[in-house]
Amino acid sequence: MTGAGAPVAIGVDVGSTTCKAVVVDRAGAILRHRVEPTHPRTEQQTTRILDELRLAVGCELPIGATGYGRKRVPGATKVLTEITCHARGAFSRVKRAVVLVDMGGQDTKIVRIGPGGDVADFAMNDKCAAGTGRFLEVILGRLQVPFDEVSAHVARARRSVPVSSTCTVFAESEVISLVAQGEELEGILRGLHESLAKRVAALAGVLPADARIVMSGGVALNAAMVDALGAALRREVSVLPDPQLVGALGAALSAS
Amino acid sequence: MSSTRRRVEYEIVKRLVGPALMQVDHAQRRVKSLRKRAAKPAGPFGPPLESVRKLKELMTRHYLEGRYADGAVPVAWVTSGFPVEVLRPLGYHAVYPENHAALCGVQRVVPHLSEATEEVGYARDLCSYARTDIGSVMLQETPVGRLPKPDLLCCCTNICQTVLYWYRSLAAHFQVPLVLIDPPFVYGEAKPHHRQFVRDQLDELLVVAARVAKRRAPSMDEIVGVTKLAREGTRLWGECLAESRNKPAPWTGIDGFFHIAPIVTLRGTAECNAYYRQLRDELRHRVAQGIGGVREEKHRLLWDNLPIWFDVRGMSTLLAEHGFNFVCTSYTNAWAEAGSRIDPADPLGSAVFAYTDIILNQDLGKRFGTLARLAEEYSCDGAVLHSDRSCKPYSIGQLDLKQRLAKQLDIKVMVLEADHGDPRAYAVEQGHGRLTAFMESFS
Amino acid sequence: MRSAYVQRQREEHGRKSIVVLPVHYPKEILTAMDVLAVELWGPPGAPRGPEAGRLQAYVCAVVRNALAFLAGGHADVVDAALFPHTCDSVQGLATLVTDFGGWSKPSFVFQHPKGPTRASVRKYLVAELRSLADGLATLTGRPLDVAELRAAIRLHRTIDEVKTRILEGRGRLATSDRELYATLRRGEWLWPEEHLEELRVLERQLPEAGAPARKGVPLFVTGYVPEPMSILDALDEVGAYVARDDWAAIGRRVVTPARALDLEGDPFETLAALYYEAPQCPTRSLDQAGRLQRLLALYDQSGARGVIVHEPKFCEPEAFDVPAIRKAFGERGVPLLYLETELETELAGQTTTRLEAFVEMVGARRVA
Ligand code: SF4
Ligand code: SF4
Repeated sequence: MTGAGAPVAIGVDVGSTTCKAVVVDRAGAILRHRVEPTHPRTEQQTTRILDELRLAVGCELPIGATGYGRKRVPGATKVLTEITCHARGAFSRVKRAVVLVDMGGQDTKIVRIGPGGDVADFAMNDKCAAGTGRFLEVILGRLQVPFDEVSAHVARARRSVPVSSTCTVFAESEVISLVAQGEELEGILRGLHESLAKRVAALAGVLPADARIVMSGGVALNAAMVDALGAALRREVSVLPDPQLVGALGAALSAS
Repeated sequence: MSSTRRRVEYEIVKRLVGPALMQVDHAQRRVKSLRKRAAKPAGPFGPPLESVRKLKELMTRHYLEGRYADGAVPVAWVTSGFPVEVLRPLGYHAVYPENHAALCGVQRVVPHLSEATEEVGYARDLCSYARTDIGSVMLQETPVGRLPKPDLLCCCTNICQTVLYWYRSLAAHFQVPLVLIDPPFVYGEAKPHHRQFVRDQLDELLVVAARVAKRRAPSMDEIVGVTKLAREGTRLWGECLAESRNKPAPWTGIDGFFHIAPIVTLRGTAECNAYYRQLRDELRHRVAQGIGGVREEKHRLLWDNLPIWFDVRGMSTLLAEHGFNFVCTSYTNAWAEAGSRIDPADPLGSAVFAYTDIILNQDLGKRFGTLARLAEEYSCDGAVLHSDRSCKPYSIGQLDLKQRLAKQLDIKVMVLEADHGDPRAYAVEQGHGRLTAFMESFS
Repeated sequence: MRSAYVQRQREEHGRKSIVVLPVHYPKEILTAMDVLAVELWGPPGAPRGPEAGRLQAYVCAVVRNALAFLAGGHADVVDAALFPHTCDSVQGLATLVTDFGGWSKPSFVFQHPKGPTRASVRKYLVAELRSLADGLATLTGRPLDVAELRAAIRLHRTIDEVKTRILEGRGRLATSDRELYATLRRGEWLWPEEHLEELRVLERQLPEAGAPARKGVPLFVTGYVPEPMSILDALDEVGAYVARDDWAAIGRRVVTPARALDLEGDPFETLAALYYEAPQCPTRSLDQAGRLQRLLALYDQSGARGVIVHEPKFCEPEAFDVPAIRKAFGERGVPLLYLETELETELAGQTTTRLEAFVEMVGARRVA
């Protein structure tokens, strides 16, 4: 948070697992932020967060809301989908045409952002959790591997043990049986990341040859996933700063 | 490349290289088998079939010839239920995408090929044969080296409508003519105008196939000749299967899944028939010797629907270890039944019946009748109905079939949900667990 | 609601009724024989009763729901069932309910041919149409009258003409999508003459040609059936509307013949001719290129700015065309959204988000 200007807008991104809020200045710098698990009573939660942020900055600000709970943010002045907001947020950081891969808890989106910051095309997973952060979460839970240790495990893998099922339920039982067969955990985890990355690559479809890939969302904090995705897309993948806050940032910029 | 040159190459491969390769292969195997001494029981199985070698030779040659076929002879891509007899006298090399996709299934390359189709928007819920084939065309990748490009696409909807959509996509891709034989599904009895429709389509097929091959339409004599061969092949295949009515069955139902390849892809050729004669004789010999496909046959099962190609070996081992054998399958049986109706005296007229009244083109009442008859003829004490995610026409109705079979025949029946080609849709461990529990219920 | 209507039709007009599975069937024959068609597109929502469990979860919701509905006795008010030769799943359903239980009243099939107009196909189609009429005569107790069939063809031609005018003038019509499609879909079960009256009311609301277009982002839809109808509400809420559709249930069944039809000759031949004049549909034709051409032309005429491809999950005939549709519109730089639904009554949050994001994207393009 360098060279902070005056606050101009608040952005709230109510995701299915976490609720994110930011206050930005005119240049798009994040002055303050909040990340908390999403509460079932979204209205109450967002009202509280907004009150806190307003109190902290000491003034009323326009509010942009996004995320799956976007319609339940009291006082929002602009309501837009996560696709549009992620594109705005990402573009404000990279200022060029890119392909954004956002992997959140329940959904994964691929947004092709045009040279002017517009959404040129997007894809998003269907109802099924395959290909989302949830897939990893379920299986890591089963293997009792904490999220922040995953990357280190995968890095240690001597080889990758292929996990062919992409359906969360099937993959879970496949992984358990691989463990039972004595396969090393590290290899399985690598295989799992590769399988997930492939699924995301399939969602991305055929990308332009010169596409640059940037990643956002909570899963982007998992370096192993970033690597696997790069391998699956056969391209370098860079992670946006504050990957979890990109949607909220975009919402704030849209409201300002 | 000039077509004459292609033709010469093709003939060389067909007449010289193919057989020569096989000789080398034979020699190598003989050396190996001298070291190993064959004909010993292998694990829970009886001694392996000798004919397997010949089968491999036949199929390798078929695919090898295919590599040199386009440009040399007319090439047709054909669905499994298509009246291929009509194409043979015109010199067509017939490629069976379904058989090719099955091979891809065995070799577990389906996910890779399918991903390419999914990338351009084909849903993963579609038949995995279609996804495999289209993926193979798009990527130009195949485990058999190379598939010749088609001059003609031949699609018969007596197995499903899926082939229609699938071949329609192929036609758009290759920009070649597509002939369709659309035998109306038979509820009860086929109506006269349904039969007439199939007959008319066969006549039209002759014209188109001749035009594409740039030949005159085949004479009746030629068609009669091929028809005789096809019928004979079908009969021989039926005889091979029927040997499993003996106890113990001389081979496994899973062997049957592999040995079906010639009757599907080479039906109406002399090699096909020679092969099945050899196989039948070997099976008879085994019966006489009391050799079983499974070392200790305790229970005899019926299998319904396509095989799970990528797990056939794993599954057959699991079964054999418990003394179970699939002594008959509705899938392999279908090829023994359809052709039996072909009458060389009236090749086209009888083809109408042969290609309309096949198991997948008939109502569920008849389907039940076939399953029940098979279960009795082969003295089955249980049945596994493979509910195949990828093949709706074969799978719809199975939950009712299960109830009926269990009740009317007093046998144990299970439904196993899987996919014939795509391992991503099936958890092997879970499947084997369920099969094991099923087998335990027999004791 | 429909049961009461069917009942009233029976009491007031002595009409028999028949439940019809999707998609294509010669409704003219039914009308001529004074038989009310009640189409069964599911119905939407959770399957009504446990019988859906007789089909695997990978069979489309249209067929699973229909099985539960028929076998649960919910269609018992009608006199018979008609199963067109739509796809493997409808075909399987037809034998399942008749051979293994679930439907004990008479059932008929209409095994329309697939593929292009070959001589054999035309001949067969005419024979199949006649055979259906003969079958229905056993239900009504009297044979079909040729003059009545001609009259029915004319009536349905008029219906299609009015529909065409409404659909072509959609951009000027102030009515919401929800209202418009509700009216169009009442044709799935209303007696045709009543349906025509309702359509005429709608037609009268059409402003003159050249009147300004309605507000909102115009979209083109191709797909199967507009279920859940809340898709239309979701579009409305973000300021978009369906400028033209190729839903199999709606726009794809409106026939505007390119050539003049012989309405005085053998009416079965007329019906066969109509079959080939009808818009390309993967459930009855082989011509993918023709279908794409038509979709692109409709898109252009409609002035739409984006395409929604809206398909039921597990639907083979529809799904096989999706890559070609994507490609055709993609090459022209037309934004496209692929939506898969399963006859749920409410849209999943994710689906709403995708719809809204699509409209935001298409809307932003105009400004740019
Ligand atoms: S597997 Fe089933 S759906 Fe696929 S081509 Fe064969 S019969 Fe048709
Ligand atoms: S949705 Fe598709 S698969 Fe289902 S009944 Fe309709 S055409 Fe057949």
